[in-house]
Amino acid sequence: MPGVPGVPGVADGPAALVVSGVSVRFGGVLALDDVSLEAAPGHVTGLIGPNGAGKTTLFNVVSGLHHPDHGTVHLFGRDVTALAPPARARLGLARTFQRLELFGSLTVEENVLVGLESTAVWWHRRHRRRRQGPGALDEADRRRAARAARILAEVGLTSVAGVQASTLPTGLARMAELARALAIDPRLLLLDEPGSGLDRAESAALGDLLVRLASSGVAVLLVEHDMELVMRVCDPIHVLDFGHVIASGAPAEVREDPAVQAAYLGAVPDGVGVAGGDR
Amino acid sequence: MSDFLQYTVFGVMLGAGFAIAATGLVVTYAASGVFNFAHGAVGMTAAFLYWELVVHDHVPVPLALVVVLLVVAPLFGALVERVLMRRLHGASAERPVLVTLGLLVILTGVATLVWSPTVTRVVNPLVAGTFRLVGVNIEYQYVITVGLAAVVAVALRLLFFSTRTGLALRAVVDDPDLLAMAGASPNRVSQLGWVLGFVLAALAGVLIAGTQSTGVNIAALTLLVVNGYAAAVVGRLRNIPVTFAAAVGIGLAESYVNSYAVPHLAQNLQTDVPLVLPMIFFFVALVTVPAARLRAVGRLTTVRAQRLVGARQAALSGIAFAVVVVLCAVALAGDQSNGTTVLDLAGQVMAFGIVGLSLVLVTGYAGQVSLCQFAFMGIGAFVMGKVAGGGSLLGLVAAAGVCGVLGALVALPTVRLRDLYLALATFAFADAVATGFFADVHVFGSGGLTVGRVVLPGLSFGGDRAELLLVAGCFLGCAWLVLALRRSLVGRRLVALNDSPAAFATVGLNVPATRVVVFAVGAAMAGLAGALYGTVEGVVGTSDFSVFAGVIFFLFVTTWSVRSVGGALLASITYVVLANVWDNGLGLFAGAGVILVGRAAAGILGAEPLQRFAPLASRSTGRSGPAGEALGADSRAAEGAFALGSEARAAG
Ligand SMILES: Nc1ncnc2c1ncn2[C@@H]1O[C@H](COP(=O)(O)OP(=O)(O)OP(=O)(O)O)[C@@H](O)[C@H]1O
Ligand SMILES: [Mg+2]
Repeated sequence: MPGVPGVPGVADGPAALVVSGVSVRFGGVLALDDVSLEAAPGHVTGLIGPNGAGKTTLFNVVSGLHHPDHGTVHLFGRDVTALAPPARARLGLARTFQRLELFGSLTVEENVLVGLESTAVWWHRRHRRRRQGPGALDEADRRRAARAARILAEVGLTSVAGVQASTLPTGLARMAELARALAIDPRLLLLDEPGSGLDRAESAALGDLLVRLASSGVAVLLVEHDMELVMRVCDPIHVLDFGHVIASGAPAEVREDPAVQAAYLGAVPDGVGVAGGDR
Repeated sequence: MSDFLQYTVFGVMLGAGFAIAATGLVVTYAASGVFNFAHGAVGMTAAFLYWELVVHDHVPVPLALVVVLLVVAPLFGALVERVLMRRLHGASAERPVLVTLGLLVILTGVATLVWSPTVTRVVNPLVAGTFRLVGVNIEYQYVITVGLAAVVAVALRLLFFSTRTGLALRAVVDDPDLLAMAGASPNRVSQLGWVLGFVLAALAGVLIAGTQSTGVNIAALTLLVVNGYAAAVVGRLRNIPVTFAAAVGIGLAESYVNSYAVPHLAQNLQTDVPLVLPMIFFFVALVTVPAARLRAVGRLTTVRAQRLVGARQAALSGIAFAVVVVLCAVALAGDQSNGTTVLDLAGQVMAFGIVGLSLVLVTGYAGQVSLCQFAFMGIGAFVMGKVAGGGSLLGLVAAAGVCGVLGALVALPTVRLRDLYLALATFAFADAVATGFFADVHVFGSGGLTVGRVVLPGLSFGGDRAELLLVAGCFLGCAWLVLALRRSLVGRRLVALNDSPAAFATVGLNVPATRVVVFAVGAAMAGLAGALYGTVEGVVGTSDFSVFAGVIFFLFVTTWSVRSVGGALLASITYVVLANVWDNGLGLFAGAGVILVGRAAAGILGAEPLQRFAPLASRSTGRSGPAGEALGADSRAAEGAFALGSEARAAG
């Protein structure tokens, strides 16, 4: 069932993300060359391309971890090219990492809590707790704990909430990253290969979750090698190769595009979980 | 004009010495990926050995040189690599750093035992005498130093670019796997790096010792070789030509500043500035060499579950602790050992314990290696002694405040530094403060600074018993703070920041601000500890807060466990007891401890067997339930009891 999104009831507002003319050079490698693309609320936008195409680099540029040599990034109509990552996050941008970047010494639940508490202040008052005796949680804590539990349930991690994050297998760790990203209540969500390490059922569940998120008005930008997942949930899809956007459009169009097929020559466009060489 | 030439010649000579030291460091780092903190100590030891042979045993100079530079140094280097470093492969990245710090304090400790500091030892230049050239007096030693530096430069150049071994040396850090495939053994290459490093350190040590006409001093010589560190950092720990150029530049700068600027300074500054200058260069190099140009060095993280201490648990441990302290205070008031009352010792334990707690916060939680907590401690003691004539409550507050602000100022330029570079910067700061500030006659001077006991309106802590209760109360407060912080969002944030700065930033949190704040809070705690230490001791002196003492204490904390209150307390007990029993042996114990702990990043208290002590403390693994927090609390209970038991033993 192609082209699920474009959910009725969610008006297509201004693009959540507009990348225009972004170039990034690493020494001799032109990782991104004049890349322009958009992601709109209510859609799961796909970003695919062979290994080394520049997808992760683009995510780093959008989230502010890497400064582009040229080009601008707009989030929700605002030019954020000069903003640091935390400022972008406060505008509603969240992401996951292809090379897992969990807070390894914290539990899964604590990972989510760090996200939930990202707007709380250091001197957060605790006097109420003292009045109620040790161990009692104050109101804000209780609310956050409940929300953490809800988010963990949503991504299917309830059973490992108390487990140290660094001990999780890859698939669960990716879901934990997703949970942490959801915790900051994003309006734009960048997911870098969330499906690698998941089995078929988990991958399908992930797809459903992404569709649900989009239908609630979130703009999702998905980098994924699992073509089955991409073709099912993404619309539109952008294809990146050697730092260029070589095709954009609906899944069916992109699938038939000769340039895309050429780029994927040797790779398997409809393979499940094509090797996503973690770097 | 001829003055200028004279200073230039001297500067070039100094720079050549630094260059030899710095390249040794770079070679070791390039070949093994380990920054050898003990580099200066190796040079110092070589110089003393050389003195022993030449002056004491009347061995001919050439033979002595051969023995020191070509037999002892290479063997020692090979041994260190084989016995200490090789087994750390694959351990978390801070372990090799800690082990070289351990080696540093062991070597200075052994040197102090073998070569009593009370004897004056002059190491003669290799060739004495001077000659005149265009109106400048040039010592033969200068020519030899510069010549040897040139030989070293050419030899390394040839080695690196004209031999297979050199190719391997260059490749080993970039890609050890590739190297292994190409048939070279990473271990052999790394061993070669250590051997060359030690030889160059020894050469630099002997040469620099020859310029110390008033005699060599263990600490001073060790830190002199550290001069080379700045050059190595400018060369990004990789680039030998740049390192050389930087070393000569630093030599010249030092020579000019000392000759032109220093004579115009106030009397006491005239002695201070030349001593701090190298560390200032080092600090500036660290904070100005662009971050992107610094090769990413291993992260000093320990990925391991942190056991949370529940509020009830903390409260119970605290009450038990308080009871023990009060009992001790009552029972032991009169007991003496070595002229120090047992209560005094207990007070010291509490004061150093607070420094340990500051390390739990800064290093254990936030992963920032700080080697300058003793510097803040000393500053705290100084402030305490000066504010309102000493011994006021205001002094305690001021000590914490001043150190907090200073901590923020130190942290500001260093926030972008991680791990190794932060450790180096804090080391430089600690040394600059110790040699340039504490040693000043107006600060602690020769007789020390008198810090009175705290007097509150209507309440005096003049007696030993009351004093102990005050310090123990402060310790308890700090321990509670540290534990409460860890349970709160602040603690989660610190640990998160340490685990992944990138993710930390992308969930909307401010990395630099968090680092500055935690460093400042740690500094404030250390300052408070210093002020309290001053009230316990009555008089504080320069040697209380030396760089080496700070490193030793840091090693004790990491050896026990830098992530727990128990670790801080045990480290403090170890430090105070050993310092009172056998001061000179402190370094040996600290070094031995860190070496024995080896790869175990969590320290003794984090070791598996201890964890199993508590019946329910099975670490949560892949599939276990979400009850990790509750279980963790129990295992901490065992730890707390352990700590308290030791405290009782030490105090009794
Ligand atoms: N920090 C870096 N330094 C140098 N080159 C880099 C860096 N990061 C990425 N590159 C290069 O930029 C290009 C794009 O890399 P990027 O990781 O963005 O690709 P990708 O599309 O995410 O690939 P994959 O599907 O394997 O994740 C590659 O050639 C890569 O080698
Ligand atoms: Mg990628």
